Amino acid sequence: MVHDMTTMKLTRRQFGFLAAGAAAAGLLPIPARAANGSMVAATFPGNWEDAYRRVLTPLVSQAGFDLTIAPALAQDQLAKVMASPGSPAYDTLLMSPGQMAIALENDLIQKIDTSRLANWSKLDPAFQGEYGPTVTVEVNGIAYNPNLVPAPKGYADLFENPAFAGKVSWTGFGSNTAVMAYTQLASIYGSGPDDMEAVFKLFADHPENLAGVVDSTNSQMSLYQQGEIAVFMCSTGNVAKLKSLGLNAEFVHPETGSPAAPVNIHLTKGSANLDAAYAYMDAAISMAAQEQLTLPPTEMFPTNMDVALTPGIEAFVTRDTIPSLVYPDWAMINKNRADWIRAFDALVAG
Amino acid sequence: MRASGFPFLVPMLALSVAFFALPLALLVAYSFAGETGPSLENYAKFLGDPFNFRVLLNTARLGLETVLGTTLLGIPIALLFWHSGQRVRQAIIFLTLIPMLTSNVVRTFAWIVILGRQGPISESLMALGLTGGPISLMFTELGLVLAMTQIDLPLIILPLVAILSRLPRNLTEAAEVSGAGPWRVFVTVLLPLMLPALLAGWILVYASTSASFVTQAVIGGARNVYVPQLIYREVGTLFDWPLASAIAVVLLFTTGILLLVLSMLSRHRRLVGHG
Repeated sequence: MVHDMTTMKLTRRQFGFLAAGAAAAGLLPIPARAANGSMVAATFPGNWEDAYRRVLTPLVSQAGFDLTIAPALAQDQLAKVMASPGSPAYDTLLMSPGQMAIALENDLIQKIDTSRLANWSKLDPAFQGEYGPTVTVEVNGIAYNPNLVPAPKGYADLFENPAFAGKVSWTGFGSNTAVMAYTQLASIYGSGPDDMEAVFKLFADHPENLAGVVDSTNSQMSLYQQGEIAVFMCSTGNVAKLKSLGLNAEFVHPETGSPAAPVNIHLTKGSANLDAAYAYMDAAISMAAQEQLTLPPTEMFPTNMDVALTPGIEAFVTRDTIPSLVYPDWAMINKNRADWIRAFDALVAG
Repeated sequence: MRASGFPFLVPMLALSVAFFALPLALLVAYSFAGETGPSLENYAKFLGDPFNFRVLLNTARLGLETVLGTTLLGIPIALLFWHSGQRVRQAIIFLTLIPMLTSNVVRTFAWIVILGRQGPISESLMALGLTGGPISLMFTELGLVLAMTQIDLPLIILPLVAILSRLPRNLTEAAEVSGAGPWRVFVTVLLPLMLPALLAGWILVYASTSASFVTQAVIGGARNVYVPQLIYREVGTLFDWPLASAIAVVLLFTTGILLLVLSMLSRHRRLVGHG
């Protein structure tokens, strides 16, 4: 017969040990709290979260603040701040222009006081936004496994070349990486980037591409590691991370151009600790941080002009080629996104 | 209940009202929010789309398939527990509880390895010559049911073990002496005694499976859509909270009906062996 909770006995000695253990636990060293308070910064989960925690936490700590890195996709950040606008879950947000437009529309972010950022002048003027600095530009393209498939030429190749049949993974329209690829496909197969009916028809005509649709790029990274998929839409950062894990992965610039998304830090309206938020933003654009972030496994394009591009980054993009990348029309995307998401989800579910 | 006992219930009641009843009331109220005032438009929008109706059915089917899977695996394990000595019993309890101490997310990602092309299922099937090449159970309902069955198995084993541990092992001897075979002993003696635990386990497994967002999203992929994913999409991607609330209420209602039926069965005197 097993003992159940009602028959459990505790001797005086056992109770003494328990009490001593509890008292000893109280003596364990607890990290000292910073004198000037703390802040919560939202970052994308995965590679971003690891890198920002590793690189920025010590820098912000040196400035006298505790930094908590909270992972959340840009859409989730918006949802959480909208849920509690008076007392936002994050002091700063990390997002691309598409989500920034929604944040502005819903009055969730505020203009920054650039005089409080010592490193502001080090930024390329193109990256000095009135609602916050651009910390990097994510260059998008196609990741592929050279062991399993040939190098794709571009998005159309993934549908037209039989070598890719059943080996490509896509995500829904909730993902910025995916939506940028779909607007390119709409331009190739339809009348323009907003002609998504042409993309839906393309998927309907190539149902093998529907089998590998998953919920997020992070899931695709896991599936790629397990050899479940051979091709997916990605940023250069995703490929850098896969390579750092020892996997065979390569990045391809699509022949129609690489979609790009600046990534900005925004100051949330109602932020509880503005001093800490400015210290964090300043750290994120500092040379000390961006130099570390240019290295594997992140290999982020630095927006601080004093930071040199590494050969790994220059293989994908240079300061001269940044303006020639494909920057989608986020106003158009935001206007149509809800309808596209619902239509694509229904198409995928069959 | 004696009137003097009521003050002891007050903290629990206050917690239930503050953290369950009020949020639930808020959710229901939100589900009626329309563009021009209270209306049923969110319900009409959700139930008027055949795709959503299919998602509801898929969610119910996933819950029932997982209940079946956990039952088929849980009963033999519980019977093994009943027939075993102290050491095996401890091992069974330990092995049942250990997975519950790991995060559901970790268990879900472990299943990617198991169900994948290079995983043990695919390798075993190839070694046995049952498949010509590697197969993947990822993004299939079968793969999802397998993962959910393992993840929710403790929810059915623990109630069964709790009941069986109180039954003397010579309980079945009278039936065996009267000539009943093992199957008849199981059906006529053990199963009725186990039924209250099974019903409790079914309720837990069904509720857990139908709300298991992470496992559904990761293992099921985007092709297998279930209600929690729809709710997440409306809240986190489309920011349509009234519609998300309406979907949550519909899920609560459909799950509630099933749980009501199960809990009515668990009180049925003949069914649970008191008739």
